[in-house]
Amino acid sequence: MTPRVLTRAAVAGLTAAALFGSTACGSGFDDPAAETTQSTGPASLQIMIGSSGDAETKAVQDAAAAWATSSGNQATVVPAQDLTQQLGQGLAGGNPPDVFYVDASRFADYASVGALEPYGDKISNVGDFYESLRNTFTYDGKLYCAPKDFSTLALQINTELWSKAGLTDADVPTTWEQLTATAKKIKAKGMVPLVLGDTRDRIGAFFVQNGGWLLSADGKSATGDTPANVAALTHVKQMVTDGLVRFPKQLDAGWSGEAFGKGAAVMTIEGNWIKGALQNDFPKVKYQVVELPAGPAGKGTLSFTQCWGIAAKSKYKEQAIKFVEAMTSGEQQIAFAKAFGVMPSRESVRDQYTAEFPADKPFIDGAAYAQGPVNAPKMDSVLQDLEAGLQGLANGDPKSILANFDKNAKAALGGS
Amino acid sequence: MATNMLRAAATATGGPDDRRRRGRRGVRANENIAGWLFVAPVIVILGLFLLLPILMALWVSLTDWNGQGSPFTSQVPFVGTDNYTRLFTEDGLDRRDFMTAIRNNIYYVALVVPTQTVLALGLALVVNNRLLKGKSFFRTAFYFPSVTSSVAISVVFLFLFANSGAVNSLLRMFGISGPQWFADSRGVLHLLLGVVGVDSPPTALTQGGPLGLTWWEWLSGPSVAMMSIITLVIWTTSGTFMLMFLAALQNVPVALEEASTLDGASRWQRFRNVTLPMIKPTMFLVVTLGLIGSWQVFDQVYVMSQGDPAKTTLTPAYLSYRTAFRDFDYGSGAAISFVLFLIIIVLTLVQRWVMADRDPDRPRWGRRRRRTPEGSAK
Amino acid sequence: MTALAERPATPTRRRGNRGARTLASRFLGYAVLVFFSLVFLYPFVIQIGNSLKTEPDAAANPLSPIPDQLVFDGFIRIFTGTNFPLWLGNSLLVTLVATTGRVFFCSLAGYALARLRFRGRSGLFAAVIAVMAVPGVVLLIPKFLVLNQLGIYNSYSALIVPLLADAAGVFIMKQFFESIPVSVEEAARIDGASIFRTFWSVVLPMAKPALITLTILSFQGTWNEFPHSLVSVQDPSLFTLPRGLADLVSGSLGKGTQYPLKLGAALLATIPVAIIFVVFQRYFVRDANDGSDKG
Repeated sequence: MTPRVLTRAAVAGLTAAALFGSTACGSGFDDPAAETTQSTGPASLQIMIGSSGDAETKAVQDAAAAWATSSGNQATVVPAQDLTQQLGQGLAGGNPPDVFYVDASRFADYASVGALEPYGDKISNVGDFYESLRNTFTYDGKLYCAPKDFSTLALQINTELWSKAGLTDADVPTTWEQLTATAKKIKAKGMVPLVLGDTRDRIGAFFVQNGGWLLSADGKSATGDTPANVAALTHVKQMVTDGLVRFPKQLDAGWSGEAFGKGAAVMTIEGNWIKGALQNDFPKVKYQVVELPAGPAGKGTLSFTQCWGIAAKSKYKEQAIKFVEAMTSGEQQIAFAKAFGVMPSRESVRDQYTAEFPADKPFIDGAAYAQGPVNAPKMDSVLQDLEAGLQGLANGDPKSILANFDKNAKAALGGS
Repeated sequence: MATNMLRAAATATGGPDDRRRRGRRGVRANENIAGWLFVAPVIVILGLFLLLPILMALWVSLTDWNGQGSPFTSQVPFVGTDNYTRLFTEDGLDRRDFMTAIRNNIYYVALVVPTQTVLALGLALVVNNRLLKGKSFFRTAFYFPSVTSSVAISVVFLFLFANSGAVNSLLRMFGISGPQWFADSRGVLHLLLGVVGVDSPPTALTQGGPLGLTWWEWLSGPSVAMMSIITLVIWTTSGTFMLMFLAALQNVPVALEEASTLDGASRWQRFRNVTLPMIKPTMFLVVTLGLIGSWQVFDQVYVMSQGDPAKTTLTPAYLSYRTAFRDFDYGSGAAISFVLFLIIIVLTLVQRWVMADRDPDRPRWGRRRRRTPEGSAK
Repeated sequence: MTALAERPATPTRRRGNRGARTLASRFLGYAVLVFFSLVFLYPFVIQIGNSLKTEPDAAANPLSPIPDQLVFDGFIRIFTGTNFPLWLGNSLLVTLVATTGRVFFCSLAGYALARLRFRGRSGLFAAVIAVMAVPGVVLLIPKFLVLNQLGIYNSYSALIVPLLADAAGVFIMKQFFESIPVSVEEAARIDGASIFRTFWSVVLPMAKPALITLTILSFQGTWNEFPHSLVSVQDPSLFTLPRGLADLVSGSLGKGTQYPLKLGAALLATIPVAIIFVVFQRYFVRDANDGSDKG
């Protein structure tokens, strides 16, 4: 290109840019401080959920439809492909869904930038939610959102394959050693012993069982690279390299529950949501749930929780709160529990739940010794990086994976 | 597919020149107005959705905007070039991720560009063979994958490369047990080193290395998972480039080839000394279009792997998207986009420079001329 | 080079040796062609075959194009269990509007740049060329910012308007208009026809081949467009086919493999472009030839 043409191009470009820069300014930049005008009367609520599967999607859709009919509003449930990303675009675009799931691990990020409406004091009988769950969703002393439910991890055993492998109830593992021994027996029969999600949300349980965890109790410092964690991760790596543990992708499955449902593995470690998924997708699978095998430091599991977030920019906050109220009523929580196997976040229906689902005892019992999620702000990309390390565990070095986490976590925690 | 538009535009060089215009009467006043009216819609749209975005993103890349409200208010913290320095000089997660993405993309380019060029040229040579019939069928067959949707094709390849998928059952027919493609984060170079007995990295290579990755990590090669994406891309783009070669080959005069045959030149010599020089401009075009295109890989990564396993299919394009829309770090995401922009612009300029340098007859952008190769059969 | 070309090509051949070689090379040539035809087309065959299988069948015999037992479950689920009809409708709408607009606007601009003499023309043309070099993927975040600021994020306008013009299209049209003899339109202009009228009823009809080429390229481009829909909308009722398909693969259904369904949906998304390709393939091929023919 000749210099003359280049100059002209530059001039033309700048002219055009200046021209349209000014029109864009005319279209009005929104003022972040402005309070969104509230609309009363029948609302059209958009509810975005990060669904654990068809079972959950359908249950929430049904519940929302029922609420909409009885209250005279409209409610559309949108199962997000990638909740974080879609919500991010919605928030940046200034038109987020009115109600959405907020995971405990992202909660601090949303609350700290003012994306959430703190409506905790407007919901009835707040004290009924488990205290630990309320604490999870409290930021700056304000309860931002109502806990939806919670779940814990346990061990699922495919009973049919179990007996096919020549195992009996006596073989159900309660310690790491027994788990390894049993897994070896299964492998000898040519079956995959255990399918395990390659994320911190599954492998992390082994840390807890060995007396470790990623963050200190106050959540202020990173404690990844400790002997307890390294030993736990080395143990998992050993099981992977020995072929006792397979990751879902290695079994052509999107998640462990699918591999387990297809009978591709004899055992898996998943939360109570697996019930609903199996019921829906693989109704023929017979399985039993037991507590996770204890590690050297005793029993340990992970707990997960989400809340019903309401967007600070929603036009229908009042109606949205009513909707959340309906979704978190004891009755509705039991209905959700039946549909996709989560545990109610309200203490008042705990007994009703245990009476209804005696088989879920291992999950409920897990609550006593469960480790909650990492919920500090700015930690998501650090945790993503840890996930990447865990995906490469078979060829990676446990100590350096954890040391890496510490390095990144320190930067994130210190910087916020 | 955008490549098709790009290709069409890149190869279109126009018809006869406009010397007759010189003879026309003076500029009519209303042509001025009409001219601007005619181009107005295009200017408005390109200005609004191409130029303005670039300027806005440049601004955002200098801030710490977190995706709440407007990025153009005084509350948004201005951070200068922080977002850029974090990618290059600060030891941290941002740089690690960015460099990993760059590494992945370098290996991707290094495999995709040569393979698709050679394959496209090879196919074009065979299709161009005057002795063969059914040319148009084969041409159609080879080109068809290029016109289909990248998302739809990615779905098909997800199935082909599933652990119990078509590729692995094909391998099984030859007694090979295929890898678990999308779960396998092992680098191909590491695997090859493993074959010759280098199982664990020499400590010299794990101790340090430039830009936040160790030498050993830089030398991983594309991961097994990345190989399946590479295969997909080669499979879809070769057809397009084959057409370009084919068009160039059809311009190689028959007489020229026959003459060299008479000289007793072997087939290879004929190819090297006669055909290759004649299609050199197309060769450069194909290589540079390939280079530019392969730094933009996004759709396939989004659909097939989302950067997994272990970040080995992360590319700068996907990383910038993820950083902005998943981690709400729009400043950093925009900064990655600009670095990528720069890489591609440099490649484009190099292309133009090389084309201009090597082949002065070749039409260049912004100037018009016409030329048909001497001795052309047309 | 010229010297070589001017040498008389006397057709004296040594028959025997050459005949055998020709035969061998012809055989080899066909072998290569058939092999690569399989490589390029068999995946589509597999796609069709497996979309009509049951899931266990697809997992067990992925290579076989013939279903063990012909089932249409996948396709039934596509239309009943997913939003496929909605995506299809959106894709059709977006593609038709964007293609029409793009062809019209690009021809207008191409004509102006080729024929009308106005101040700033060469600068504008240089800008168009410069804009062509802007890689699409780096515009993901920027486009989102603009759509957002303009207040049209998450709407049909966001999906369509940015696709209405395209620098490469302007370039193609400009080059074509320059190849049309100027005498005809000058006659029309002398008769007193307005510039737009001359363009619309005299020049445009002569540009049919270029218009068809551009229409096809725009159709294919907008039909397959994925990253743009990713940053312009997030409401599932505005998803186009590629977006919906991506959602199907890694999203709501992503947890289960369900390959017959996914392959079927991908197949349906491919069919319109495949039809256009087969019907108009000479235009597809032509645009590639066109360029190098003259270059």
